[in-house]
Parts: sequence; C-alpha cells; structure tokens
Amino acid sequence: MEASGFLVFSASYFDGLTSRDRRAEVSVQGTDLVISSETLEARYPLSAVGIEPPLGRQRRVLKLPGGARLETDALEAVAALEQRLGRNVGLTRVQRLEARWPIALASLVGLLICGALFVLYGLPAVARLAAAITPPGIMTTLDAETVRAIDGRYLKPTTLSAETQARISAEFRQMALKRGGPYRFRLLFRDGGELVGANAFALPGGSVFLTDELVRLAHDDREILGVLAHEIGHVEHRHAMQQIYQGLGLTLAFSVVAGDVTSAASVAAAIPALLLNSGYSRGAETQADDDAGRWLMQTYGTTAPLQAILKRLIEQDGPETHNRVLDMLASHPGEAQRLTHLRAIEAAGKSSK
Amino acid sequence: MDDVPTRSQSPLPSAAGPLTLSKEPLLPAAPAPLPPTIVTLPLAFTGQPGEFFRIWIVNVLLSVVTLGIYSPWARVRTRQYFYGHTWLDGHAFEYTAQPIALLRGFLLVGGLFVVYSLSQRFEEYQWISYVLAGIFFVTYPWLVYRSLKFNAANTVYRGLSFRFHGGVRAAYVAYFLLLLTVPFTLGLTYPLAVWFQRRYLLENAAYGTARTRWGKDVGPVYLTFLIALGIGIVVVCTLGFLIFGGIALLGVSGGLSGVFQRADSDGAANLQTYVLLGLAAAGYVLMILVYTALWQYIRAALLKYSLQDLYVGDTLRLQATFNPVQLAWIGVSNLLAQIVTLGLLTPWAEVRRTRYLLGGVQVQTIAGLGDFQADANASESALGEAAHEFFNFDLGF
Repeated sequence: MEASGFLVFSASYFDGLTSRDRRAEVSVQGTDLVISSETLEARYPLSAVGIEPPLGRQRRVLKLPGGARLETDALEAVAALEQRLGRNVGLTRVQRLEARWPIALASLVGLLICGALFVLYGLPAVARLAAAITPPGIMTTLDAETVRAIDGRYLKPTTLSAETQARISAEFRQMALKRGGPYRFRLLFRDGGELVGANAFALPGGSVFLTDELVRLAHDDREILGVLAHEIGHVEHRHAMQQIYQGLGLTLAFSVVAGDVTSAASVAAAIPALLLNSGYSRGAETQADDDAGRWLMQTYGTTAPLQAILKRLIEQDGPETHNRVLDMLASHPGEAQRLTHLRAIEAAGKSSK
Repeated sequence: MDDVPTRSQSPLPSAAGPLTLSKEPLLPAAPAPLPPTIVTLPLAFTGQPGEFFRIWIVNVLLSVVTLGIYSPWARVRTRQYFYGHTWLDGHAFEYTAQPIALLRGFLLVGGLFVVYSLSQRFEEYQWISYVLAGIFFVTYPWLVYRSLKFNAANTVYRGLSFRFHGGVRAAYVAYFLLLLTVPFTLGLTYPLAVWFQRRYLLENAAYGTARTRWGKDVGPVYLTFLIALGIGIVVVCTLGFLIFGGIALLGVSGGLSGVFQRADSDGAANLQTYVLLGLAAAGYVLMILVYTALWQYIRAALLKYSLQDLYVGDTLRLQATFNPVQLAWIGVSNLLAQIVTLGLLTPWAEVRRTRYLLGGVQVQTIAGLGDFQADANASESALGEAAHEFFNFDLGF
C-alpha cells in the first residue's frame, strides 16, 4: 500500500447543499480519495467516486457520494486517476479523436465515404428487402393511384383498333398466366404522344403500359411480347417497389441530416413522378432482360425479336434519349451490353439444346 | 463555515474583466443593514470554433457510423461543451444528463417516427400516421413539461442544480389550448401563447431553493410581433415595387427600343424570359431572407425581453445588454454561411451566436453567489428530453 498520495491536486469543493465553493487539496491515497480544506477533512473510497468523462480542455468534475463534487483544472492528474481506475475508456478515446485536426479532417472524408456507401450499397440492400416483404395489396393500391396520375399528365387514350388490342391482350394474358405469382397483371394501351413516345413500362402491382407508338414500331407481335416479358420481369423482381423505397430512403436520410422532417411527407405525393422519372439500375435491366430472354427462348427459340425492337428504339430515339421523360427501355447507358447479353442468352440456350 | 469566497482560485480563462468583488459578506450579527452594494458580474462564453468543430465532426461521424446509437452521446457532449464554456463569477456551468438515459427515449421516439413516415406513404395505413400525429399533438405539452424538468435538473452551477416547478396543467394551457385558438383568431392569439410559454418557464424555474420571478406584461410581446410585421410589410412592398417596376421597364424597353433585340426575335424573347425568371427567382430568395430575418429578430427581441430583469431569489437579477438587431443579423448571416458551406460552418455559427449572446448578459447581485441553498433532488425521466431533441423543437432558449 502506498504510504503517501500518488496524485495531489487542488480543486474547488462543493458540498451539494450550498453554492459555496471551497478550495481543497485532493490526493489519492491507496484506494481512497482524500479531500482536505480549511474546514473539511473527508475520505471516500475511489470506487464510490464518479468521474465525468473528459471533453476538450475543459475542467474536470468528480462526483462524490452524497451530492458533493470537485471541480479542477488538474487535467493530467484526473486523466491519470481515470486510467488507473479504468473509467471512461471509450469517451477518453473519443476525446483524443476530437483533439486532433487530422482526425477531424479524416472524419469529414469518412462522412463523405459513409454517405456514398449508404447510397450505393446500404440503401439498395434495404430497399430490396423492403420491396420483397411489401404485401401485394399495397402495390395494387399504388398501381391504381399511379395510373390515375399518369393518365392525367402524360398519356392519351389509345387509337389502336379493338382487334389489335384484343390480340395483344390475349397473348399477354397467356404469358402472364404462365408466370403466376401474386400480381394482378393487366395491359393498358395508351397513346404516348410527343412526351412518351414508343415505350412500355410496368407499375409495381402488375399494370403494364404499352404505347401505340411502340406497337407501330414493332414488326410483329413477338417483338411486343418480348418487351412485355421484360416488363413482367421488372414486376416480378419488384424493381419499381425497390426504386420507390430507395427514393424514400434518400429523402428521409436527407431530411434527417438537414433537420427538415416536413419535406419528407410531401414525397408521398411525388411517388408517381418518382416512378416515371428515375429509370432502373443497369442490374435491374439485366435481370429483366434475363427473364424476357428466357421466355423468348422457351416460346420462340430465339431472343432476336427483343434485340430487333431494342435496336430500332435506340436508332429512333437517337443520342438525345436521356432527356425524355418516360423511357424505361432505352434511357440507360449500355444498350450495346444489353444486346450482347441477349445474344449470349440465345447462344447459351441453343448450345444447351 | 464562514470562509470568505476566494474569487481568484478558479480563474476565468479569457479576459472577461476583473471579477473580484468589492462586497463585504453581510454579517448576521449586524442588524442595521448597510445600503446593499450591487455587483455586476458578466457572463462569458469561451468556446472556440475550431475546437468545437473537431468535437462536432467526430460526433457526427460516430453517430453515422453507429447508425444513430451514438447520437445521445453526441448530444450530451455538445451541450457539455456549451455549458462548460459558459462562465459566471469564476465558475462554469455543467450539463449532467446521462447519454444512456437519453438513448432509450431516442430509440422509442425514433421507432415511432419511422412507423409514422412509413405509414404516411400508403393509403391503407395512413390512419396510423394520423393516430400517431394526434397522439404527438396531445402529448406535446407533457413532453415540453418533461423536457423542461429534465433540462433544469441536469443544469448544474457551483455544485447546485436548477429545478423546474411548473405543472402539467399550465403546460397544456400554454402549449395546447392557446395554440389551438391560433388558427381561429387569424394568429392574433399567437403572441399570447408565446407569452404564456415564456411565463410558464420563467416563473417556475429555480436555482436551488431560489425561485425565478419574471412578472412581465404581454404587451411588449405583441409590440415585438407588430414591429416585425410592420417592417415586413414595408420591405415586401418596396421589393415588390422594385421588381414589378423592373419587369414593367423590361417589357417596355424590350418592346420599343429593342434593348434585348438580337438578329432573331426568338433570341430576344428568350433573353427577356430569362431576365424575368431571374428577377422572379431573386425576389423569391429575397422574400425568404426577409422572412428569416424577421423571425430571427422576433426571437432575439423576445429573448432580450425574457432575460432582462429576470429575478433569481431575492438577491440576483439578470440584465440583457445585447442588441436584438445585431443578434438577428448574426442569425441570418449564420444561416447563409451554413447553407453555402453545406452545414460545415454550423459549429462556427453556434459558437459565434452564443459568444455574442452571453457577452451581452450580466448578473446583478447584492449577495455572494455562494449563498444559494440546494433543493431536494429528484431524477427526471429522459423521455421528454429525447422527444424534444428528436423533433427539434425550438423553445427559444
């Protein structure tokens, strides 16, 4: 046992009963904290003494049993005591981090990296999970609302003949039936007009839009069905739902950072636009192409129809296609890769036969 | 017991003027009291922007990396930094809340918030969000009440904690009933509600056993709002006049003298459209700025009104000498700096504002600050505090 105090420092002593401060000498003797002032001699076991965590170069506070406390500028002494007792280990490390400029700048970089990782990987993963567990009922409701919103704003009634509609619908229904699943697939014919043009896109619950322009662009029904198979792929993999959750997550994260919660609520109203304006990721397109390719191979033994209409779409839209409002099919970089991919599916399908 | 307070033992780090008192302690044996000597003690804030930036950014990173679990610690450390750098008479304030106590509240409130925002998205489940919003609205006064109690109990100065003695019923009057009337009176009762809220806080606080007394009229609160409204109307009218004048001028010059006319008239029309759009955008931004500035002014003026002549016990009163206009300017320029730097100057802005604010607050006392007595302590639930922080309500203090 140490005979004399190994730590000695001076402090202001408050008894917790009045606001009077007393100058006191504090020393650590063995396992005790000894306080002595002109009017006071006190001894507490160290185990009963609380040490407030360190912060910056601020003066330290020791909490004594019974509400009394010591305040001191003897930072080194308190830090040594803290270390000996194994107290505040975590926050002492935090304090050391907070004291250094390089760490502060590294934190800044770290924040940016965290943000990027969150947007690139964290959010999509969470969105995928959320999309997978979303009940079909919700998606059906969402479909109905989105159809209403889109019809008013972007699309006009179809001018296709009733026979054409009936023919394509029947083929679509047959294809959808084979796929099964909890979705209510239905095909909606619309005139895309200037804004939308030749296009097809699917809503989360299984509503698939097909524009007159696309039907006219197609040389035969197989091409149209290839496109529709692609859209059904989007539905089955719940890409739209994923997209919605991703958008919501971004807004939510942003509003938490920016401290504005009210703006997050207004996003609910923007879901249809969100659905339309942001295309799918390249991964989602590839996945949908996979589905469409496999279906085409099964049905016609070739992926050529989808390739053909894809090429025609790209040629027709030209390089300015990125500015279009609705272009789920062609807006993404890597059209060449998509064609290559379809060809690869065909080659693999043929060789396995 | 009767040791004379030695003021020099805990020196104030920054030069906030000499703090030595000329006062003799009143002797209990002297029955004929001398005319009391009034001593003015300045408050001072010694926090440094650079130092606080490091604490802030590390806290933000740790909060993000731990998916928010660290945020109660971040919150407490921020508070501790500001309290610990606020000096009065050679001693600093102290914030003593336990982060772990905040964490529970954070998790509960955070969970409810997630449920709320998710249920908002889907029509079928929107009723949940309405129910939650209703619950929040109804419990808000209670949350304020808990928050005030919690914060007071966790503010320590010279080894003594503050207390809040207000009741729940008064909180419901100030934060529920009066606010309910605001839409039906076209906002006329809003200043009244603000006054009730201030009075609720400032008449019910205590340092140890010393209660605060405020005793202020509602009149100046209305006056502050009226002044802000008046300035707002004048500024908006002037701006509107200038902008519409500019548009009219452009229209005339564009049509007649062809200032904007180029070779093709399409280009001229385009340019004119851009100029008009630019003017409209500038007007919009100016409006937001005016609005922000007026709110900052109202906040600052009410803060000064609240602090000025606030009594603590029988021996002490506060004095506020800061300039509300200057404080409002600091608020507006802070906001601009924060927006331009995407929030990176937030620590600087907070330190700047606090430094100016506390530099303009003094304590006048006729007795030593060592004579306050403790009140019996009770621990306060952290739930109110956490909700308060999460939804980021501003009570103006």
